Amino acid sequence: MKLLLLILKNIRRNLLRSTLTSLGVLVLVFVVTLIWSVLWFLDLVTAERSRNFKGIVSERWRMPSQMPFSYATTLEEGAAREPGDVRPEDSMTWQFFGGSFEPDPRKRTRDNTIFGIALEPAKLGTMMDELDQLPADKAAPLLEAIAGLEGRPNGIIMGRTQLQRTGKQIGDRFTLYGLNYRDINLEFEVVGTFPEGRYDNTVAFHRHYLLAALDAYQQARKRPHPLADKTLNLVWLKVPDRAAFDRLGAQITSSPLYASPAVKFETASSGIATFLEAYRDLLWGMRWLLAPAILATLALVISNAISISVRERRTEMAVLKVLGFRPAQILLLVLGEAVLLGGLSGLVSSSATYILINHAFGGLKFPIAFFPAFFIPEAAIWWGLAVGAGTALAGSLVPAWNTRSVRVADVFAKVA
Amino acid sequence: MDTVDGYIVRVRRVHRFFRRGSERVDVLNDLTLDVPHGEFLGLMGPSGSGKTTLLNLIAGLDQPSAGEVWVGQELVSAMSESQLARWRTRHVGFVFQFYHLLPVLTAFENVELPLLLLPLSAKQRRQQVLNALDLVGLNERVRHRPGQLSGGEQQRVGIARAIVTDPLLIVADEPTGDLDARSAAEILDILGELRRALDKTILMVTHDPHAAERADRVLHLEKGRLVEQPGGAG
Repeated sequence: MKLLLLILKNIRRNLLRSTLTSLGVLVLVFVVTLIWSVLWFLDLVTAERSRNFKGIVSERWRMPSQMPFSYATTLEEGAAREPGDVRPEDSMTWQFFGGSFEPDPRKRTRDNTIFGIALEPAKLGTMMDELDQLPADKAAPLLEAIAGLEGRPNGIIMGRTQLQRTGKQIGDRFTLYGLNYRDINLEFEVVGTFPEGRYDNTVAFHRHYLLAALDAYQQARKRPHPLADKTLNLVWLKVPDRAAFDRLGAQITSSPLYASPAVKFETASSGIATFLEAYRDLLWGMRWLLAPAILATLALVISNAISISVRERRTEMAVLKVLGFRPAQILLLVLGEAVLLGGLSGLVSSSATYILINHAFGGLKFPIAFFPAFFIPEAAIWWGLAVGAGTALAGSLVPAWNTRSVRVADVFAKVA
Repeated sequence: MDTVDGYIVRVRRVHRFFRRGSERVDVLNDLTLDVPHGEFLGLMGPSGSGKTTLLNLIAGLDQPSAGEVWVGQELVSAMSESQLARWRTRHVGFVFQFYHLLPVLTAFENVELPLLLLPLSAKQRRQQVLNALDLVGLNERVRHRPGQLSGGEQQRVGIARAIVTDPLLIVADEPTGDLDARSAAEILDILGELRRALDKTILMVTHDPHAAERADRVLHLEKGRLVEQPGGAG
């Protein structure tokens, strides 16, 4: 306890230097926390699960996938043909609809544009990651919103960021003028929002509404909409284990029902990983160049501060040795100083990053793949502590080790 | 720490040399010395005569190139660095010319430092620190940092730190070298009192003849050899 007090007093000795070092740690831990949060999330979504994982059926040769909606019925059954065939535990279809509040195409901008997913409302609560495992208090408003979608053909659920960005609120009505579905204009009424977090940028509505609009287009124009046969983008299938996934994949890919266009079946994680291929070099650089460079800089910053501090106190170190402090105890004093400063600064930085990014900024808007924003995981708070303390330990090892070589005889006058 | 034939320090045919590049510098040459228990011994001599080197050897801060250094019944010259560290904590008190107090600690905390290495409770430590500060007349300044104390007061804190573990041997290197005459006299009074009242053995290196007068015996070193001269107040 007394040694800890001594360490704290030594940190306070040169407040300016300690503050500057601490600021350096704060900034660098902030950056590394952001980088690792993005990588952590991408690792999470691209990691293969061993149980209860989801597979995605999509068009084999085209990105984005555009399959006929007629595929949906049989795909939702896993293309089961024989009595012993595997059937998915659950399924969900996705149709992407992009629309603008602005009828005039020349005035359309990113700010007045929304991309939504047309699906079966009930699937929001059973097939969407995280939404299928919400605690009761957060599930209740979502279930209410889902009921709103089921009850109103033109209902729409918008994530919190989307509501904020477009200035809409629950109960508002608006028209979206189709971008990808040209001449399909849909009137919506906001019936709810998603729980705060991953789905802040998501917009969802009933798939029947889009299908009905395509039917209405055909009746009015006496010809089908150009996308009428390409409206099914993805089909999600939930399977209990790897064996079921493999059998389901064989059923789907061998089925003659999906010949033109041909389809493929892959895990959600590998589907996302395929999509992330375009960012491979960027992510590699973040993981193996940027983050290590920041960690090395962090260690250097602390090493520099501790080196100066130790050099200034060589006589004091020698006095401690004279009084009976062993080299290991003095080493511990110096390391303790660095680890305490680095660890605490790292903890403060990561905690502040967690609060700021998640609660003040609504996530890190890092435009990569189709993820609108990244959030700092709770575990990142401990990353800050570990990174700060770890780099401080690494950076202070050499200067701390040098204190062992302080000659105790040097504290007496040299002249005698 | 038991004595042998009444002597607490026995230096036997000690030799100490240093290397300066390819040159060999002999600092102590075949030096033998006995210090009786409870003696206040002054060490004088010109710069480079080996006074501090001798003090370092006796206090376990350095090892001789040849010969033996005994303190009590311990062969100090044969101890490892960690053994010496432990031994110093218990048996030797140090008083430095430039006090060498830790500026971030109060007088109380500076005096308490050596006690942190001993198996004592907080209450025992506190009692010993207050006793030591009382002995040097600084019980009113326990919460002051070195920067808030005069040179004489800082040296008194240094002496309190030297005696707080109740060592039998106190080594003082120019304890008055950085003080004005009045403060120097006060410090020498305290050292004399420690010898008389607490039966401490004191080895003091000094250039100051007035300081040396307070010693029971003064030894002169010249070129690494002892030249004993009568003197001292006794």
